[in-house]
Amino acid sequence: MSRPGFVLEVDERTPPLLVHEGERLRLETFPLGTRVVYPPESLPGLPDVDAAIRQALLNPLGTDPLPELLFRGMRLTIAFDDISLPLPQMQLPDVRQRIVEAVLTMAAEAGVDDVKLVAANALHRRMTPAELRRCLGERVFRSFFPDSLTNHDAEDGQNLLHLGTTDRGEDVEINRRAAESDLLVYVNINLVAMDGGHKSVPIGLASYKSLKHHHNTHTMLHSKSYMDPPRSALHGSAARMGALVADTVKVFHIETTLNNDAFPSPYRFLTKREWEWSGKEQATMLAVKRGLDLAPAKVRHRIFRSMEAPYGVTSVQAGATDQVHERTLAAVHRQQLVEVDGQSDVLVVGVPYVGPYNVNSVLNPILAMCLGMGYFFNMYRGRPLVRPGGAMILYHPVPWQFSQLHHPSYLDFFEEVLAESTDPATIEKKFEQQYATDPWYIHLYRTSYAYHGVHPFYMWYWGAHAMDHLDDVIWVGADPRTVGRMGFRSASTMQDALQMASGSVGRSPSITYLHSPPFALADVR
Amino acid sequence: MPSVAPSPAGVRAALAGCRVFLTGATGFLGEAVLERLLVDLPATRVVLLVRGKDGFAAAQRVEQLLAKPAFTTLRERIGPDGAPELLRERIDVLDGDLTHWPALPGDLDVVVHCAGEVSFDPAIDDGFATNALGVERLLHAVASSGSRPHVVHVSTAYVNGMVKGSVAEGRLPHQVDWRVEADAATRRRRAVEDASRGAAQLASFLGQAREDHAREGPQVVSSAAERGRRAWVEEQLVAAGRERAQSLGFTDCYTFTKAMGERVVEELAGDLPVTVVRPSIIESALEKPYPGWIEGYKMADPIILAYGRGVLPDFPGVPDGVVDIVPVDLVVSAILTAAAHPPEPGGRRYLHLCTGARNPLTLAALHGSVREHFRRHPLQVRDRGTIAVQAWTFPGSAHLERRLRAGERLVDVADSVLGALPRSDRVRSAALALDRSRAQLEFLRRYLDLFGVYAAAEVVYLDDGVAELEALLPDDERDLFGFDPRRIDWQHYLSEVHIPSITGLIRTITASPRGPRDRVDPDLSLEADSEHHSSVAPRDQDRIVAVFDMDGTLLPSNVVESYLRLRLAGLALPDRAREIGLAARQFPGWVLTERKDRGTFLREIYRQYAGASLEELDALVDDEVGPDMLARLSPAALRQVRRHRAAGHRTVLITGAILALTRPLAPLFDDVAAAELEVDREGRATGRLSCPPPVGEARPAWLRHYAALHDLDLTASYAYADSASDLPLLRAVGRPVAVNPDVTTLRAARAARWPVKEWRTSGRPLSRAT
Repeated sequence: MSRPGFVLEVDERTPPLLVHEGERLRLETFPLGTRVVYPPESLPGLPDVDAAIRQALLNPLGTDPLPELLFRGMRLTIAFDDISLPLPQMQLPDVRQRIVEAVLTMAAEAGVDDVKLVAANALHRRMTPAELRRCLGERVFRSFFPDSLTNHDAEDGQNLLHLGTTDRGEDVEINRRAAESDLLVYVNINLVAMDGGHKSVPIGLASYKSLKHHHNTHTMLHSKSYMDPPRSALHGSAARMGALVADTVKVFHIETTLNNDAFPSPYRFLTKREWEWSGKEQATMLAVKRGLDLAPAKVRHRIFRSMEAPYGVTSVQAGATDQVHERTLAAVHRQQLVEVDGQSDVLVVGVPYVGPYNVNSVLNPILAMCLGMGYFFNMYRGRPLVRPGGAMILYHPVPWQFSQLHHPSYLDFFEEVLAESTDPATIEKKFEQQYATDPWYIHLYRTSYAYHGVHPFYMWYWGAHAMDHLDDVIWVGADPRTVGRMGFRSASTMQDALQMASGSVGRSPSITYLHSPPFALADVR
Repeated sequence: MPSVAPSPAGVRAALAGCRVFLTGATGFLGEAVLERLLVDLPATRVVLLVRGKDGFAAAQRVEQLLAKPAFTTLRERIGPDGAPELLRERIDVLDGDLTHWPALPGDLDVVVHCAGEVSFDPAIDDGFATNALGVERLLHAVASSGSRPHVVHVSTAYVNGMVKGSVAEGRLPHQVDWRVEADAATRRRRAVEDASRGAAQLASFLGQAREDHAREGPQVVSSAAERGRRAWVEEQLVAAGRERAQSLGFTDCYTFTKAMGERVVEELAGDLPVTVVRPSIIESALEKPYPGWIEGYKMADPIILAYGRGVLPDFPGVPDGVVDIVPVDLVVSAILTAAAHPPEPGGRRYLHLCTGARNPLTLAALHGSVREHFRRHPLQVRDRGTIAVQAWTFPGSAHLERRLRAGERLVDVADSVLGALPRSDRVRSAALALDRSRAQLEFLRRYLDLFGVYAAAEVVYLDDGVAELEALLPDDERDLFGFDPRRIDWQHYLSEVHIPSITGLIRTITASPRGPRDRVDPDLSLEADSEHHSSVAPRDQDRIVAVFDMDGTLLPSNVVESYLRLRLAGLALPDRAREIGLAARQFPGWVLTERKDRGTFLREIYRQYAGASLEELDALVDDEVGPDMLARLSPAALRQVRRHRAAGHRTVLITGAILALTRPLAPLFDDVAAAELEVDREGRATGRLSCPPPVGEARPAWLRHYAALHDLDLTASYAYADSASDLPLLRAVGRPVAVNPDVTTLRAARAARWPVKEWRTSGRPLSRAT
């Protein structure tokens, strides 16, 4: 039986604790009394994933079994979560491959031959052929690529369909093939509570016209948090859109959840609690840390990039979106939820090397901000881990580094937009339209491997709630030029950071360290 | 003429109602004479010989002259709009110069001849044309006008040649025949021009031009060769002047030809009265028109400034040698007093307007004053604070010469090393440092060679005649027209008057904060730029084109890399290893070829494409090479292209790479000029091109044709490029920008004051696994 998550209070016996900082690791001694939030231990994975998948497809929730929905001559579209999930990439076979293969087998048995596969990448970059092959397996890739296995193109007017507007006036415009199919099967990996449900079809397959209704500052300020769907305006909007989609197209949703095994074997101890490390593991940690400190950036990058998580699949459910997602959320909570008693003055997080938008790429400053102040800050239910007007301390070097291939508009956003303002609402009003409609960005999004021109704005809005909530944001070990450009401050040590924050939180603040990855979702009472 | 023989009458009275003809009024001394004539001699009329220049007529140039700082007092007196009236009433302007004489008025009373060649090392025929034959023509013009004026001829104290000890005022003792020398000088030009066109000479000019400019194309080479020939002709004539002068005992061609000029005036003035004034080194004014007035830098000034800037560690010459400096207003006073007191008809009078006899300034004292000045008021250098000045030890010229020569050798060696290195930031900054050192050495060489002679002169020019002349001044005019050198307090004059005046300009430049151009870095702001070029109206923006070179400018690569990437992308691993080996063997050959001729080099590359299908190439670029290129694209470059588009400019990509390789960038540009592969009937590349590649001089030709086709204004257009072979392209537009330049391009850019930009890639290159 895995142990539940718990909150440690740092005392004299507590060893230095692991903190992720980009492509390095740090052992940090926290002030006495610091609360450390540990996620529950990894749950056991399903022993026979293929059987569980088959079981879910044959016994779906709130709908007929999949074989009964398939018929000869039908148009079947299978959409699946893109490269942004899971993090890091999972060891092969990817669970999406298993599900897609199961669905295709049933479709073949039913004599369906008009089948299309589409990556639900919304405004994310296209997946490369190699990435698609890795995600869906050689067999599927060979049979469908390139004509019947494609990336969703949110700028291909011909292949988008406007389904109508919700009662709040939100446009719903999604992939035409998906909307015009007799059945749309969606294959999901639900890594955190934000994912899945109605976020899959109305967002993953949508256009900018549709996305801008909820991907904006106002919505993000009313999503507290966006990791808690019932209290998230983002999810409210997605649900309204999802209902409208369901009126048009039959959706068969397949969702999966993963356990906390985020690190492969030599690094597995990174998910263990520090005082339980064996002598060998302590030695490994020291060796790894020293190796990373000495290694050139390129080598570090390669070491981390080559990591594949030995994730176990903890649940598979299929059927109607809402019922499926309810079970999915319960499974996510089982793996991630930790009860925390009250807020603190300071929240500390270590920002790791990979987020949803830099798989096989560089974690640029905006993405580092988004991962720390978007994702980690929002890993709560109820109330944030840090009080209003509190401080957040993040660990990451935040180098001035961008991928020109993947994030061309990020670079311009960083150099031109942030140079003028860091206020999300101002930025949205003044610059979003220009970036969203820039023909060069659109060209790169459609033909190369670039995130859409507007994407950095979304990342910035992702941090809006945190920026609004906090009085102080300090990055430890960061390049002062880059964090300064984003409106934050940098410190060389934790002590310095606390000293700098003393203006807003006093000289002996209460501190909470969110010990991630793997993910922990704090249930703050 | 009111008086013929010397009399104690005042200068004003003597010259009242006279008509004075002045040459060289646009020069330093002439301007000072004109100012005094207009201000202090209100009853005297003036005739000026001025040549129309730069589209301005002679009279307009005189109006411009009267607007200069020297005439402040005059303008206060006549009011801001008084110039036209003054011109009408007191000044007659004759359009002409020493070689083109207009007819002179028949009622001239005095001729003050200030015009002349002031360079110390003119070509020998130029020196004679102005300093000797110019005087001949002047006297012919006077003779044919019917005027019988007193001729005041301005010469120099240094016509006395390389003598030591005291020199009295008087006719020069030499026996040189000016007609023979002038004739020889004129013939020399023809001989040298002929020699420069000999086959061997031309081959040598061409060889040098090829060595320097081969990569820029044949037209650049030929025009460089012709420039080289002309420079050689000048060099020969300058050397001829210097050598002939020294063989006759003169310091340089200037003093030689001035000495000949004196002979001309002595011989041709006939029974006219003649005064030859011989000033020494004329420097800034002691009092008039105002203390410190000077125009440009005179002889000693570059040395003083170099010393203040800390780049003149020592000086040849002897510490107790006399430096003969004379303030310009003393010279003018003496000229006017002399003009008012002519010798008898046919008389010849010589005046040494010098300070060395009665108020000598030694080199040590000069150095002391200068050093004291810079100690109290050091020059500022931006970002580096004040400059400390050193004490001179006067080690003797042999020692300095050795140091200088060692420095020159070192710079030559460093230069040849740098030229061979691949380009990088460090090479560029080393090249800049080297250029600074070289400029410094060249400066030292030039000034020490030229002025060392003057500073080392152990000679005193006696000025008894000058003292006698001054005694003629009535008491009430002694303040106004006095020129006794003993009036000068050297310490005060140097540190309070002269040095502040010559350092004033340099101080305002170096102390000012960085200009706006520096602040817009790292990118070029087009808005800021268009302010500089306000001639371009907003509606004309669509007539502007921005041309971008691809390899090395937008992308940190060259055609070799592009080729390799393209090939490697399509190959499996073992093949890739073999390919790298193959390329590695060919690479040195390619580099050598590239240095010689880019066209040949590119042809080597294109040959590698033989057998490839164009369609496959396109697909290969789209799938494999494109992402890599986009990842390596310089963000600053990209932003600049987009900025041009946003400004409404036409954008053009020009590259020697094949067309397929431009596909990923093509949407950014209105047009792409690239190499197009010739294909056979099956659509496969033959390894040749279907038309000549757009490289080197083909680029400006292409661009001019393109501009004509689309009605574009190249003078308002931009070009961005990196290498020497792009220089013709850069020169073809009004706003060239050197990007990541190689050393040759960097030097060209600095010489022409083009902006230089460093555009780098950001982020990591992609690994092939993705």
